[in-house]
Amino acid sequence: MLFVIIAVLAVAGTFLALAFHRFWTGLDKDRTNLVYAALLGKFWAWLGRRTKENARRASVKAWGDYLKALPLWRLPVLEKWLFVLFYGSFLYLAASGFFFAVFVPRGLYGFPLIGHVAAGGIFAVCLTLVVVFKGRDFISISEPLELSLKLFDPKRLGLTAARAKRAAFWLFVLAGFLLTSSSLLPMMPLLRTPGQKLMFELHRSSALASVLAAMVYVGMELFEKSRARPRG
Amino acid sequence: MSRTGGPAFAVLGLVLAAAVLAPMIAGPSAPARQEPQQPAWDGSRTTPVHLIPLHDENGEPIIPTETNPLPFSARYTCGPCHDYDTIRGGFHFSSLTGRAEGRPAQPWFWADPRTGTVLPVSYRPWPGTYAPDDLGLTPWDITLLFGRHFPGGGPAEPPEEAILSDPEARWSVSGLAEVNCLACHNRSGRQDDGEWAKQVLRENLRWAATAAGGVGEVGGMAARLKGTWDIYDGPDPDDREWAVAPYVKYRTGDFDSKHRYFFDLNYQPADDRCLACHSASPVDEVQWKADPDVHSAAGLRCADCHRNGLDHDMVRGYEGEAADKGDRTVDAFTCRGCHLGEDAAGRRNVEPGRLGAPRPKHTGIPLVHFKRLSCTVCHSGPAPRDGFTRVRTSRANRLGIYGAATWATDLPAVFEPVYMKGGDGKIAPHRLVWPAFWARKDGPKLVPLKPEEVEAAAGGILGSEERIGAVLIGLTQVMEEDETPVLVSGGFVFGPHVDGGVEVLGPSGTTDEGPAFWGLRKGPGIVPLVPDFDPAAEDKDPDIEPRFQELLQALDTVAGAPGRAAFQVRRTLYRFEGGVLDVSEAPEEFGEAVRPGRLVDGKLVPLASGFDVRTVTAKAGTEKTLTEEEVELVLGALAGASENAEFVYVSGGRMFRLDKSGKLVSEKHQAAEPVTWALAHNVRPAQQSLGWTGCTDCHSAGSDFFFSRLEADGPLLAKRPVKRASSSFMGLGGLFQGFFGLTFIVRPLLKVVLTVCAVIVGSLVLLAGLLALGRLAGLVEKR
Repeated sequence: MLFVIIAVLAVAGTFLALAFHRFWTGLDKDRTNLVYAALLGKFWAWLGRRTKENARRASVKAWGDYLKALPLWRLPVLEKWLFVLFYGSFLYLAASGFFFAVFVPRGLYGFPLIGHVAAGGIFAVCLTLVVVFKGRDFISISEPLELSLKLFDPKRLGLTAARAKRAAFWLFVLAGFLLTSSSLLPMMPLLRTPGQKLMFELHRSSALASVLAAMVYVGMELFEKSRARPRG
Repeated sequence: MSRTGGPAFAVLGLVLAAAVLAPMIAGPSAPARQEPQQPAWDGSRTTPVHLIPLHDENGEPIIPTETNPLPFSARYTCGPCHDYDTIRGGFHFSSLTGRAEGRPAQPWFWADPRTGTVLPVSYRPWPGTYAPDDLGLTPWDITLLFGRHFPGGGPAEPPEEAILSDPEARWSVSGLAEVNCLACHNRSGRQDDGEWAKQVLRENLRWAATAAGGVGEVGGMAARLKGTWDIYDGPDPDDREWAVAPYVKYRTGDFDSKHRYFFDLNYQPADDRCLACHSASPVDEVQWKADPDVHSAAGLRCADCHRNGLDHDMVRGYEGEAADKGDRTVDAFTCRGCHLGEDAAGRRNVEPGRLGAPRPKHTGIPLVHFKRLSCTVCHSGPAPRDGFTRVRTSRANRLGIYGAATWATDLPAVFEPVYMKGGDGKIAPHRLVWPAFWARKDGPKLVPLKPEEVEAAAGGILGSEERIGAVLIGLTQVMEEDETPVLVSGGFVFGPHVDGGVEVLGPSGTTDEGPAFWGLRKGPGIVPLVPDFDPAAEDKDPDIEPRFQELLQALDTVAGAPGRAAFQVRRTLYRFEGGVLDVSEAPEEFGEAVRPGRLVDGKLVPLASGFDVRTVTAKAGTEKTLTEEEVELVLGALAGASENAEFVYVSGGRMFRLDKSGKLVSEKHQAAEPVTWALAHNVRPAQQSLGWTGCTDCHSAGSDFFFSRLEADGPLLAKRPVKRASSSFMGLGGLFQGFFGLTFIVRPLLKVVLTVCAVIVGSLVLLAGLLALGRLAGLVEKR
C-alpha cells in the first residue's frame, strides 16, 4: 500500500513539475515580482485552461493524427522498428505493472503476466541497442566542478533543461538495468527468500524510477518540440 | 464545581475514555482462551508411576479377585487427578457440540457397498458433510457405525437427554464408552485397537477400554442380551453359550496387594497411538517400502507438534489456528512458525527453530509461491508424479483392526493430493472423496436415504451377486475337492465367494461376446455343467445320470429360488422328483437345447436371470457395486413406494434421476461435489519436495501438478464418468497454466538474453557514470 501511495504521489508530482516547468518557461511577465500565492493561482488557472483546451481538441482522430505525425515514422527502418518495439514494450510494461499494482490486490497474474515477461525481454534487448547506439548522444559534461559556493546554485551549476533530459535518459537506463537484473536474478537458483523479497522491491522501485525518468524525458522533449514549432 | 474538582474529573474522564476506546482502537480480538484448572506441575520432566486403584463407573474400588468385577471407569480412576469433564471437552471428544472447531478435517464415511452409499457424516458443520441428526442417526447409531475408531467420549458418551430421547438405543445394556485415556496414553504393547473395535461392535461399550488396554480379558456380548438386562443382573447361569453377559477377568499379575493397578503410561502419546486412527497409506504400497513422515524419521513424535493441555484442545497445526483459538502461541506449531518463525500473516513474531527445525533455504523460489501456496503443497503427501494416489485412511477404510476377518474396506475411494484453495485462500493438498447416496429431492436440496430404506424399497434388485452366488454355493455341496462350480460370462469366470456372492476367478480365455454358461472348473479347464450328449445313446457315460441327480439335488437346496431345478439335454428333461431322477421328454416348446434351468409355470427358466448375469458381468473386474440399470430400477422402485416424491442417486460427481419417460439421466448438483479436507502428512524430505528439480516440476505443458485428471469415483459403473483436471480443483484456468508451462521451454533462452542485456547495459551505465565522474573531477579531458 505504501508503494502505491508513493507511486501515485511521485507520478502526480512529476506531472505537476513538468507542467510547472512549461508554465514558468512561458510566463511573459517579470516573474520575480510575483508572490508565491499569486504564482500558484496563475499556475492552476493556466493548468485548468490547458486541460480544457486539450480536452476540447482530443478525439480519436486527433490522437491518430498526432501519432502519425511523430518523427518516429520518418526514421530509417531499423531505427524505426527499434523504437516502436522499445516504446511499445515499455508502455505495456508500465501499464500492466502499475495497473495491477494499484488496482488488483493480487498483483500481476494470468495472461497479462505472460505478456509482461515477454515485453520485458523485448524491452531489455531494445534498451541495450538504444544504449549501445544512442547512448553517446546523451553524454555531455561541460566543465570540471570547482569547489565553491557555485555548487549550491543550480543556474550557475549549469543545470539546464537539456541536461535534465540527459540525466533522465541515464536514470532510465539505470532503472532499465535494475529492472532487467531484478527480473533475471529471481529466476536463477541463487537467491533465498530475503533475496527474492529484495529483488521484488527493487523491481517495482526501478519500475517507478523508469516511469518518472521517461515522463521527464518525454515531457521535456515534447515541450522543446512545441517551442521549436513555428506558431501559426 | 470546586476548582480542584476540574482536573480530577478530567483525569477520570480520560481514564474512562481510554477504557472505552482502547478495545475499539485495538480492533476486534478473538476471545481469550480460558486455561482450565490444571494440577500444578512441579517442574519434573518425568512421568509419575501410575500405580493406582481402579474404580468402576459408580466410583467403587475394584477388587480384581472378587466375583464378577465391573470394568474400570476412566472418569473415576483417572478423574481424581485429571479433571475428567475438562478433558472430555477436548477436540477428540467434543464433536457432539456441533462446533466447527477450525479447519475442516476428515468426516466419517457411512459406506455401504450393497446400496452404493458413501455418505460423509459429521456433527461438525463442515462443507459437504451431513449432520447425523439430519440423517436420523442417533449417537447410539453413530457409536455402532464409527465407534470402532472412537477414543471414547463424544457420541459414545452422550448427555442424559440424548440417552432418554432415544428409546431404541441400548445404553442401559452396553453402558457408555467413556473417554478412553489408554487409547492415547497407554505405553503398553497390550493396547489393542482391534479389541476396542470388537468390543464396540459387541456393544460392550463400558468394557471396551478395559479390554483394549489389556487391563483385563473381556468376554460376553451385550448385543445378544435383552434390552432389559442391567449390569447388576450379572451373568445368566442358564446361558453360557449365546447370550453371555459381558464380564471381565482382570490381569491380576499387574495389581499389587493393595489392589492398585500398574498403568504403563506416556505423558505424550506415542506415534502408534495416533496412527491407530490417523494412518493414511497408498492402496498399492508395500509395507516395507513405505517411508515415515520426515519428522518421525528425524525423531519427532506426533505430539511434539500436536500438543495439548489438560483441556485436550489439540494443536492441529494449520495456519490460522491461532486466530481461530485466540491463542497466538499456537502459531509456533505450524510449519511456518516452527521453520520460519512467522505467523500466518508472515509477521516474524514466532521463535523459530523449535525442536531443531531447520530453516529452509528456498533458493530460487519466487515469492508468489509463498503467498499462494501452503507449505504442504510442495512438501506433503505423495508427489503428483503419477497423477492422483488412491489411499486408505484408518477411519474411512477401517484400518488397523486385525483378526480372522478382513476389516479394511475399499470404500470409500480416497484420493490425494488434490490441490485446492483452503479457507485462507491458499492452495493446499487435500484428500477427496466423491459422495454417493440415494436421496429424496426436496426442492433443490437432497435428503439422503439410509441404506436400509433403499434396500427395503429395492426388494431383490440389488441382489444379483447373492442370487448367482447362492446357485454356485448350492452346487459346491456336490463338488469334488478339485472342482469349483463357475459361471462363465463376458470373458470372466465367476466362482462362489466365501461371504456369499461371487468373485472373479480369472479370465475365461474366450471372447467376451459368447453366451454365458454354468460350468465346472477342474484344473485349468472348464466343462459345462450340463454336457451335450445323446440321452438315447446306448454307450453314453454311465456316471452322467447319477451326477445329474447330485447336481439337481444340490440346486434344489438354493434358498429363495423359484420352481425346481431341471436339465435339458437336446429333447430330454432331467428332474429330481420323489427322491429319484426323472427322465422325460422335454415339451415341444422347449425346443432342442442343452441347458440347466428351473421349471417355473411349465417353462424352463435360466438358473440366473439375464439381468443378474448382465449385472454381475458388467461389474466384473471393477470395484463398482451398482450398474446404471440397477439404479434405474431402484429409482423406479423408490418412486413406486412413495408417491409425489422424486428420488435421485448421487455418485461419481453426478446426480442421477429418472426423466418423464422413466429413463435414467444425470446432471450436475452441488451435493454431488466431492468432500475434501486438507492433508499435512506425510511430509517428504526436501529433496523429494516439488520444485527441487526445477520450475518444470509443476510449470510444464503437461505437468501432473496441473493437468492430472481425476475420474470421479463412486460405486456406480457410469457409462460416461466425469473427469476433472487438477487445475480445475485449484480454481485456475487450465489453458493459462498450459500456456504458462510452455513458456518455460523458452525461459532458458530468456535468461541468456536478459543476462547479456544486463551485462551490456550495466557496463555502459558504469562506463558513462565513470566518464561523468572523471569529467566532473577533471580527470578526463573534454574531447
